[in-house]
Amino acid sequence: MMDSITQKAGIIAAAAFGVVLVSSAGYSSVSAQGLPEGFKKGDLAPEPSAEMIEAGKRVYFTKCVWCHGVDGAGDGPGADRLWPRPRNFNQGTFKIRHTASGELPLFDAKKPIPGQNDLFETLTHGLPGSAMPSWEGILSEEQRLQVLSFVTTQLVKDRKFTDKQSETQTILQLADLKPKPATDESKKRGGELIVEKKCVECHGMEGRGDGNAFNLKDDWGFSIQPANWHKCWNFRGSRQDPYNVANIFRTFSTGVNGTPMPSFADNTTVDERWDIANFVSSLCERDALGNPLPIDPLTDKPKINFVIPSDLVEGEIPADIEHEAWQKAPKRLVAMGGQITHKPRNFVNRIDDIWVRSLYNDKYIVYLLEWDDRTKSVAEGKLPWAPTQVNIDVKEQDPKTGEEGSIAARQNNYTVYNDAIAIETAVKWKELPAPIKPRYLFGTNDQFPVDIVKWEADGSLRAFKGTGWDKDFEERDNYEEAMKLVKSEWKNGRWYVMIQRPVGNKKDQDYDEDTFFEVGQYIPTVFFAWDGHNGDAGRKMAVSAFYYTFMNPPVPQETYIYPVVIAVGVVLLEGWVLTRRANRKKGKTL
Amino acid sequence: MKALMSLGALIGVAGLLLLGGMVFDVVPSTTIRLVEGYMPIQMLLEVACYVIGFTGLSYMMNAMGMAIPRFWQGIGFWVFFLLYLKYRMYPPIPFSVRAMYGTVSLVAVFMWVSASEEDWQKFKQPIMNVLDAQTGGNRLLRYLYLVLLPILIGGFSFNAMMPKSEEPIELRTVHPAPPASTKVHGKTYTLQTSQNPYRVNPEGKYDQEFSNANIVEQGMGRLMKPNANPWDDKNQGYLKYVREGGEIFFQNCHFCHGDNLNGRGLHAFAFNPIPANFTDPGTIAQLQETFIFWRVSKGGIGLPNEGFPWASVMPPWEQHLTVDEIWKVVLFEYWHTGYYPRTWD
Repeated sequence: MMDSITQKAGIIAAAAFGVVLVSSAGYSSVSAQGLPEGFKKGDLAPEPSAEMIEAGKRVYFTKCVWCHGVDGAGDGPGADRLWPRPRNFNQGTFKIRHTASGELPLFDAKKPIPGQNDLFETLTHGLPGSAMPSWEGILSEEQRLQVLSFVTTQLVKDRKFTDKQSETQTILQLADLKPKPATDESKKRGGELIVEKKCVECHGMEGRGDGNAFNLKDDWGFSIQPANWHKCWNFRGSRQDPYNVANIFRTFSTGVNGTPMPSFADNTTVDERWDIANFVSSLCERDALGNPLPIDPLTDKPKINFVIPSDLVEGEIPADIEHEAWQKAPKRLVAMGGQITHKPRNFVNRIDDIWVRSLYNDKYIVYLLEWDDRTKSVAEGKLPWAPTQVNIDVKEQDPKTGEEGSIAARQNNYTVYNDAIAIETAVKWKELPAPIKPRYLFGTNDQFPVDIVKWEADGSLRAFKGTGWDKDFEERDNYEEAMKLVKSEWKNGRWYVMIQRPVGNKKDQDYDEDTFFEVGQYIPTVFFAWDGHNGDAGRKMAVSAFYYTFMNPPVPQETYIYPVVIAVGVVLLEGWVLTRRANRKKGKTL
Repeated sequence: MKALMSLGALIGVAGLLLLGGMVFDVVPSTTIRLVEGYMPIQMLLEVACYVIGFTGLSYMMNAMGMAIPRFWQGIGFWVFFLLYLKYRMYPPIPFSVRAMYGTVSLVAVFMWVSASEEDWQKFKQPIMNVLDAQTGGNRLLRYLYLVLLPILIGGFSFNAMMPKSEEPIELRTVHPAPPASTKVHGKTYTLQTSQNPYRVNPEGKYDQEFSNANIVEQGMGRLMKPNANPWDDKNQGYLKYVREGGEIFFQNCHFCHGDNLNGRGLHAFAFNPIPANFTDPGTIAQLQETFIFWRVSKGGIGLPNEGFPWASVMPPWEQHLTVDEIWKVVLFEYWHTGYYPRTWD
């Protein structure tokens, strides 16, 4: 352990030295006044009026105090179960800014203008990926400016927004900088630059935030994870416009105060920064045609489709993801939340979505599951419980612990268990009149159980029967031999797991334990995921809502015949109407 | 009269431009925000504005000698209404509901065009003209219809017959009928007679008026009354318990129900049914406090079948909280949204 830390420290030191070398080699990115390219000196905003501050106090104690605390130290009643922890305002350290690294963010109580008022924009759009919501539509513009007046003057204690002696404002002129078109050339250069500028050391070789994931701490000593570039809707600074490269350009130019993310303004030109922003933005998940995923304005996350279509293939189902059949298979995003229904509740789920694809043939159905997990976790030694055990000794986070015992302080300090994933399907879904299903969490009871197929990172693939949230799983006879783990690989922050199981039929399958996958029917399906480095085991896991596996039936012949018959019928009808009209006009009726 | 009508025409044109913008995605459909909870009445008002606008528009066109025939007016209005439902309404409504509204509005349009015999004649004249095909244009139209109709209808039926995997529509009862009583932590609570033991004045007596006077103000922001800060250490009674309830809420409930109790918490996006929005006048504002107590204590798993107990991730909070804590959370929810719980009388 010690060795690897010194090694990493060595790499960081070398990287820093490299940065110094490069910038001292006379890079043209620093302008004549010593300002980085794209920045200009600005003036400090005037102090907000006393009335604004007083009115803001009322807003603060209605809405904000619950997480940010009475003194703004980020220690409100909600803080200990949150990761990232609510911002401690006292130091005046704010992440998303247009100002140079280390400077206070832009805030002017009289100017709620995008690009000129960082704190106002943070309040308006929220900080996705954290518990901070968007306050637009909840607080009026005036109320947002009021509460910020209160926070910046009363709760920021170590610095002063109006002190000309100690504070400066070096402002990124984002509005004047024209984005560079995201051409292949620009993205290619960006892809080279992120290696050259050592971005990949933290953000990982594929940008999934898996590099150096354990050693990063913020200014308050809490673990912090590098952003996953493939989920731009979780970027704190995405401003409800995740596919906009300007947001990435800004974060890259100004750095993220209080975190290990530095500003790169001093050692990159504006042109290079656009290349990098274009490249990073191009990594964000897109649909099959390369268009941005549609974002649901109610959640600020990609829109969800609850049907997982499975396509028919003739013969063997391919094991290679690059195979044409898999490339053509529709991909569905399955949203994951923490299991917060029964103890131990999982308040911080580090897996928040899974990409699912499926194919089937006459005998088997295969699920291809891909999800981002910054850490490959395999438990050391034997786990202290049997694979069937659900009621195990894993504690949930206490509601009030103080900073040291908080969920944020415990990140990356858990005992490591196996990463795992499970597909749960209703067993007797046909006996239950729609929409009734067995309960999402391990089934209802013996009468309406669920079929659970669980893969763990130790390479095991097991099948269980679930009969209730508080019942340990039951083993299923012989079923495991019928299944096959086609693929399981962790690469650069992402798991690729391919699970094959029989579609079954009523005749030679145990219909009391196994799901019968029938073509053209909606088969209720739930997904569970465990992140071993999050201490996930038993019911401490991530869960999805009910989805449906739908095996697309081959198109029946009638589909081609009937429409033709109908069209011919319409022609006859037209003839009849016309003759009738003509006859009526001539004075004779039929 | 003319001035009035030209004003109407102006509204009509502006409205059409706005809708056109939304159809072609130039104007986001959130331009004029539909206020949560008041959506139906707002929508009716808007449609009424449009009708006034169209009346004015039609009058002006008439006055300018460019009258639009009744036939096209009827069809135009119906098309407008369908587009309005599809592109203006937010959150979007499912196709089945739109089809229902579409049918109703079609009937309304028919009633309007057939209000008198003369109107009906005027309406069906263009149809008859095409059938008779006296002019060259009409003859062309007639041949077009002859060819296009079978192709279109055949195409539609082909589309309808192709196997599809659309999400099945499942209608869930959000507020199912409550039981007469509920047993929590070994004690039975009769829903009709139970009271929130923390809705008390500083003397410790149950006092609905006192608590109602100290909830947040209705209106933008729903801010606390200036002299009723739950974080004031001198508080006794109601406001003290509101703060305690708030602490429990922000340790347990906000993950789904959100920091502003609007059902948009951290995990909310992953779940279906989505968490309840307490700021919506259709949720806790409609219900008795004891109903909420029952729902919170028993959670999703305690719902009757029409409430989809299998899909709800709402915890049975009796597993996590004491009875006192549950009552305090309920108290906080009403304080923070500024609603009064419904009473039995």
